[in-house]
Amino acid sequence: MVKLTMLARVTDGLPLAEGLDDGRDWQDAELYKQQIKALFKNLSRGQNEPSRMSVETGPYIFHAPSMDFNALLTQVLSYIIEGRVCYLTMCDRAYPKKLAFQYLEDLKNEFERVNGSQIETAARPYAFIKFDTFIQKTKKLYQDTRTQRNISKLNDELYEVHQIMTRNVQEVLGVGEKLDQVSQMSSRLTSESRMYADKARDLNRQALIRKWAPVAIVIGVVILLFWVRKKIW
Amino acid sequence: MKTMGTENADHANFPQRPAASPFASSSQSTTPFLSSGPVVGSEAFAFRPAPPNAPQTTPSAPQTTRPYLASGLMVGSEASGPTPQFFSTAQAPPPRTSPPGQPVFPPPIRAPAGHVPSPPVYLHPQPQISYGLMGSPPQSINYVPSGRNVLPPSSDSLFSAPRSTLQPLQSAFPGYSSKPSNVVTQPTPVQSTPVFSHQGGYGPPPPATSTPFLAHQRGYVPPPPVATPPAVYSREQMQHQGSGLPMGAVQGLTEDFSSLSLASVPGSLDPGLDSKVLPRPLDGDVKPKSVSEMYPLNCNSRYLRLTTSAIPNSQSLTSRWHLPLGAVVCPLAEAPDGEEVPIVNFATTGIIRCRRCRAYVNPYVTFTDGGRKFRCNICALLNDVPGDYFAQLDASGARIDLNERPELTKGSVDFIAPAEYMVRPPMPPLYFFVIDVSISAVGSGMLEVVAQTIKSCLDRLPGFPRTQIGFITFDNSIHFYNMKSSLTQPQMMVVSDLDDIFVPLPDDLLVNLSESRSVVDAFLDSLPSMFQDNVNVESAFGPAIKAAFMVMNQRGGKMLIFQNTLPSLGVGRLRLRGDDFRVYGTDKEHTLRIPEDPFYKQMAADCTKYQIAVNVYALSDKYTDIASLGTLAKYTGGQINYYQSFQSSIHKEKLRHELARDLTRETAWESVLRIRCGKGVRFTSYHGNFMLRSTDLIALPAVDCDKAYAMQMSLEETLLTTPTVYFQVALLYTSSSGERRIRVHTAAAPVVSDLGEMYRQADTGAIISLFCRLAIEKTLSYKLEEARSLIQQRIVKAFREYRNLYAVQHRLGGKMIYPEPLKFLPLYGLALCKSIPLRGGYADAQLDERCAAGHTMMTLPVKNLLKLLYPNLVRVDEYLRQASSKLDEFNISRLPVTAESLDSRGLYIYDDGLRFVIWFGKMLPPDIAMSLLGEDFATDFSRVLNLLCYLEGYCSGSQLSA
Repeated sequence: MVKLTMLARVTDGLPLAEGLDDGRDWQDAELYKQQIKALFKNLSRGQNEPSRMSVETGPYIFHAPSMDFNALLTQVLSYIIEGRVCYLTMCDRAYPKKLAFQYLEDLKNEFERVNGSQIETAARPYAFIKFDTFIQKTKKLYQDTRTQRNISKLNDELYEVHQIMTRNVQEVLGVGEKLDQVSQMSSRLTSESRMYADKARDLNRQALIRKWAPVAIVIGVVILLFWVRKKIW
Repeated sequence: MKTMGTENADHANFPQRPAASPFASSSQSTTPFLSSGPVVGSEAFAFRPAPPNAPQTTPSAPQTTRPYLASGLMVGSEASGPTPQFFSTAQAPPPRTSPPGQPVFPPPIRAPAGHVPSPPVYLHPQPQISYGLMGSPPQSINYVPSGRNVLPPSSDSLFSAPRSTLQPLQSAFPGYSSKPSNVVTQPTPVQSTPVFSHQGGYGPPPPATSTPFLAHQRGYVPPPPVATPPAVYSREQMQHQGSGLPMGAVQGLTEDFSSLSLASVPGSLDPGLDSKVLPRPLDGDVKPKSVSEMYPLNCNSRYLRLTTSAIPNSQSLTSRWHLPLGAVVCPLAEAPDGEEVPIVNFATTGIIRCRRCRAYVNPYVTFTDGGRKFRCNICALLNDVPGDYFAQLDASGARIDLNERPELTKGSVDFIAPAEYMVRPPMPPLYFFVIDVSISAVGSGMLEVVAQTIKSCLDRLPGFPRTQIGFITFDNSIHFYNMKSSLTQPQMMVVSDLDDIFVPLPDDLLVNLSESRSVVDAFLDSLPSMFQDNVNVESAFGPAIKAAFMVMNQRGGKMLIFQNTLPSLGVGRLRLRGDDFRVYGTDKEHTLRIPEDPFYKQMAADCTKYQIAVNVYALSDKYTDIASLGTLAKYTGGQINYYQSFQSSIHKEKLRHELARDLTRETAWESVLRIRCGKGVRFTSYHGNFMLRSTDLIALPAVDCDKAYAMQMSLEETLLTTPTVYFQVALLYTSSSGERRIRVHTAAAPVVSDLGEMYRQADTGAIISLFCRLAIEKTLSYKLEEARSLIQQRIVKAFREYRNLYAVQHRLGGKMIYPEPLKFLPLYGLALCKSIPLRGGYADAQLDERCAAGHTMMTLPVKNLLKLLYPNLVRVDEYLRQASSKLDEFNISRLPVTAESLDSRGLYIYDDGLRFVIWFGKMLPPDIAMSLLGEDFATDFSRVLNLLCYLEGYCSGSQLSA
């Protein structure tokens, strides 16, 4: 079942709307919300994420749980990005992926129809909080996977979700960190190599001077001697 | 001055009118008359009911009235000559047009004095003169005591034959007008300033004035045959008496303060305290002006009021300021049109705040270093200006973009809060009703009124289309209602297990109003009939609240409880502790006023935690332990509305009005409030309906414009060195439209080292508001007397301190002196001691009434509290008579709330902001009563209610009721 729904602007991670009373009735909601916020921030950094993706996120438990247990507690964040808005929902792992994406499509269509033009100009968080009533309503339709409506949607092959990637949240959030590290390192390398080149040039010059200075002095002295002798005589 | 107006209306055809004709003919008097605009004159003419049987008066009438109206316009202009400061009674606000009845007496005196621009107060001397007529001794002026003896009782009967009584006067006029005019001009011992002239000592009229009086007497003496006229005048005098009182030779100190003599001063003829000279706050709440002039960037005083706008610089000074030192904050006070609080959005920069004290950017921060840094005015820390907010400074050091930045030019602003200020998305406005349906609730008609009112307010609930609504009813079980939008009728679910409450449905108990509107309508329509035959006398109040809490706690919101029967089942069950008179006067007295069951406090704490505000409507006809129920409202920022033995025929309008106001006023949700102040000053205690979340964070699940919070402050250091102290109130809230905002009010106050300055900058309203809260809190742990004496002693100490400051240098032996801003303090202090929560002992107010009034007064903003303590009293009968033609001239003046202001022939409206009383005089002309109440007015009062609504609308339209 759908547990949480959030809409955010991709360009800066500004939250636009959220489902009504999402996450007051189950524990760890705050932790998941923080993860989602981190995810939004990641997306806003403009890394090339696919526009449709599912991300698995586990409970924060340090001792490794058994596989089954993990499967029960694992949540799936599914999101689609379209028109600079990220529509994200969180459901159980058992919830059909297809329905989750159907749900997000529904939200997307309605949101673009109602607020499409104002997305860019929204300046305050939750500027479209009025959308929560629609979220609430739609959520109820998707609550039960066994209603006739949802079963028919599941059987409908029109909407293809197989190629949507599923990744782990740690990976997704980790990718950003690694990339950051790489770019940091490379920039450090550039600056260091530049320094090295400067130093090398300097050394070169010094070596040159050291090599030819005695010869030049000897020649100079000889010329001086010649000149002095000419003057005297 | 309604009273006088009506008198005149009663005998509109005063025969004196002809008396004016001599003046009209005399050359010196006509000129000033003409000088008054003809428009005014005609208005005055229209004002007067035309005398039917004295046609000859009509032509002269405009002429006589003109000067008075003109004088009304010229108010404030200085009267010529050595007019001593004179105590005009405070009843008369400046702009009144003098009622046409007055001219009767004035002409003789006034006309010659016509070259003096004459304020309305002119009318006052006449009574004295005529009085002299009766009292014969030529010592003049001090007839007050005897004047009192002849007072109102006789006057009523006298009016039955006014014409005959006045006849002699007429005959006196010729002789009088023959007097040389220069003598007559002198009798103007009239205070020229129509301002309530307590400032300015009462000078004795200069000796010269007595001569004209004598002269008058000589003129008048011949026709003394009728004894009645003096009595008529004495009535006048009763109103204006005191105007001529010589109060000792204190003319010098008009500037500093006013004084009031409480004992007779040796050497003066003053017989003692006269109630007429007491200051009366007929203008309502007068806001302190001087500070807002000194600091024009301060927020308006409706949002933040300090008890004194001069902060003492040392603790020794504080200890000599015996009044409370603190502030009263009403963060969401209603602003008049055009003065709305500007909204500021720092979309990209984030809100600019001080790094250390977290104060918000405000008009008093100073930018330095070319605009790259700003100095916080509260803690004086130098902060960096973020790049996006940077602007160059001009030559004077002001930012060049100052005009586009309301937060730097206005004392009050609303900041749009960024996402960091939200723990969750902004909640929708949510109203949850918990309604008692036991037999008494149905029987008293409460259920019907409530259902109707809620239904009528549905369209006006704030926050469309997100508004959420839900209902629970209870008697000995709890009834939930499924309001799912797809249903046509609500489904009722009964839970009778009171020990282990559960919510029968996960959602659809709280629904979106716009979606489920038809179901809600259907429910409210059927609610009264559903429980029509309910005979249940039990009340599962506690479990019902618990159930409501369980439904609401995911979202928060407002819980409105309608309670009609003492809670008798389940948790939170209350006993009939009764109102035991034996307890009064003992040390146990206060236990009746504190909650009995800890359940209520615990429940309130839980509610606050989940952003639920509780409003309790208690309508019981028996004892219902408001002390305990009120706790729910006290800690959740709610309010108590108490209707003693509710009967829909009597209290219907009141309940309807208050409930509608509660539902439709702009409300802020899930808010927290914090007040910051400069170094050296600290807020120590907070008073009002809220829960303190940490030492200084006030948690308010719901706030609206009718709630104010008071706080006391103390000095931390021994000596304040800064010249100014700044205060900043910040309220973080969610508006009904779903925006998260921060409302910031900033104010500055100077630091002074002079005690007298503190008193001169005092604010009576704020002081009384703070006193009220302190005293009511004191009643919760001490006896009532002790709470009262707290107020009295502190006021007395304060005045004694002030007197000690000045008495010596001005040799004011037995006088009480007070600074202008505190002139109403004793009056309000007395009113406070007589208010319901504090007054008397066992028999003077029922316990429930006391507690409910106490809770109410703990929340009221300053203005409303002052109105409650000193209500509006206006006389309306003559306005009703003229209502058809002169509605736009509906300028009602307030009367002092004393028994003396009530004339048994009048119709009065008494309005204290919570109640609206119409007082029918015993001898009210039947036509008025008839037109208001219909033929059989003894039985039918429904029309009164209509009238009441009408008037209320009217008054709130004019600034009078404000």
